[in-house]
Amino acid sequence: MIDAYVDSLLGALRHDRSLARRLRREVEDHLWEAVAADPSEEGREAQRRAIAGFGDPRLIAAQFAAVSLQKQARRTGVAVVLIVAGVYITMKARVAWYALMECAITNDIAAVAQLVASIDRYSFWLSVVVGVGCWAYSSRGRFQLSLSQKHRGLFRRYIFLCTTAAIALVVSVTSDAVLTLLRLPKVDLSLEFLIPTLSMLCEITGAGLLVHQIRATAHRAAITRSMLEAG
Amino acid sequence: MLKGHLDLIVLAALSGRPAHGYAVIEEIRRKSGQAFDLPEGTIYPALHRLEQAGLLVSRWETADSGRRRRVYALTRRGRGALAERRAVWQRFSDAIGGLLSAEPLTRLP
Repeated sequence: MIDAYVDSLLGALRHDRSLARRLRREVEDHLWEAVAADPSEEGREAQRRAIAGFGDPRLIAAQFAAVSLQKQARRTGVAVVLIVAGVYITMKARVAWYALMECAITNDIAAVAQLVASIDRYSFWLSVVVGVGCWAYSSRGRFQLSLSQKHRGLFRRYIFLCTTAAIALVVSVTSDAVLTLLRLPKVDLSLEFLIPTLSMLCEITGAGLLVHQIRATAHRAAITRSMLEAG
Repeated sequence: MLKGHLDLIVLAALSGRPAHGYAVIEEIRRKSGQAFDLPEGTIYPALHRLEQAGLLVSRWETADSGRRRRVYALTRRGRGALAERRAVWQRFSDAIGGLLSAEPLTRLP
C-alpha cells in the first residue's frame, strides 16, 4: 500500500530524477515510522492511516514540482552567464588565432564583414547585459511559482529575459559563423581551418544548450502550473 | 493562515536540535499543544525549499531501525532568519493583542 502511494506521489516528478530518488527514501521512511508508531495492531489499517495523514499525493507533488522548478530556474540563470562568458572566451581566442596566423578578410568582402561584425558586437553585448540581469534576478530568488498573479508575472518576466539573452546570443554566434566562413573560404584539414571550425562548434553547442535549458524550464513551468491548478 | 507561516513553524521546530521530517512534525504537534495538525506531507516541500534558500542543511543518517533518513539542521543564516521572523511575529502579536484588549471607546453624549 505504501509503495503504491509513493509511486503515485513520485509519478508526477519524473522530470527531476534526483529529487524523486531522495523523496522516495524520505517519504517511505516517514510512512513506515508512522506505521511503527501507530497503536493499532492491524498493519494494513496502520498503513492506511499513515497515508491519510501524509496528505493528497497530487497536492504534495505539485508543491515539490514548484520547489524543483525554482531550482531549475536558478540553474538557468547561472547557465546564461556561464555560456555567454564561454562564448566570449572562445571568440577572443579565435580572433587571437587569426592574428597569429595572419588570416585577414579580403578587401572585396570587407564591407559585408564589417556589417556582420557590427551585428555580432551589438547582439553579443545585449546578451551580456540581459544575461547578467537574468543571473541577478535568479540569484535574488525573486521568482517562484504559485497560483498568485504576482508570482506568475515575475516568472514570466524571468523567462522573457532569459529568452532575450538566448536569442541575442544565437544572433551573435550566427554572425560569428558567417565571419568565420568569410575568413576561411577554403575547406581543408589544416590547423588554420580546424581551430576556428572547432571553436565555432563550441559556440554553437553552447548556444544550443542554452536554448534547450530555457525551453525545458518553460516546459516544466507549464507542467507545474497545471499541477498546482489541479491540486 | 497556517500555510503562510509554515516556514517560520518549521524553522522554530528545528531550533532545538537537528531532526528528520517525521520528528519535525512531532515537534510541531508537541510545541503547539496538538493545535497544529498539518497534513504531514506538506512539511517536506517546506524543508526542501528552506534548504534551497540556504536556511537549512541536511544529511543522510542511519536510524536504529536500520532505515536511512534525511536529517535537517538550521544553518547560521537559518538562525538569523528565525530570529528576524520571530521578532516580526512578536510585533504583530503584540499589536493584535493590544487591539483586542483595548477598552471600548466611550460614547459621545
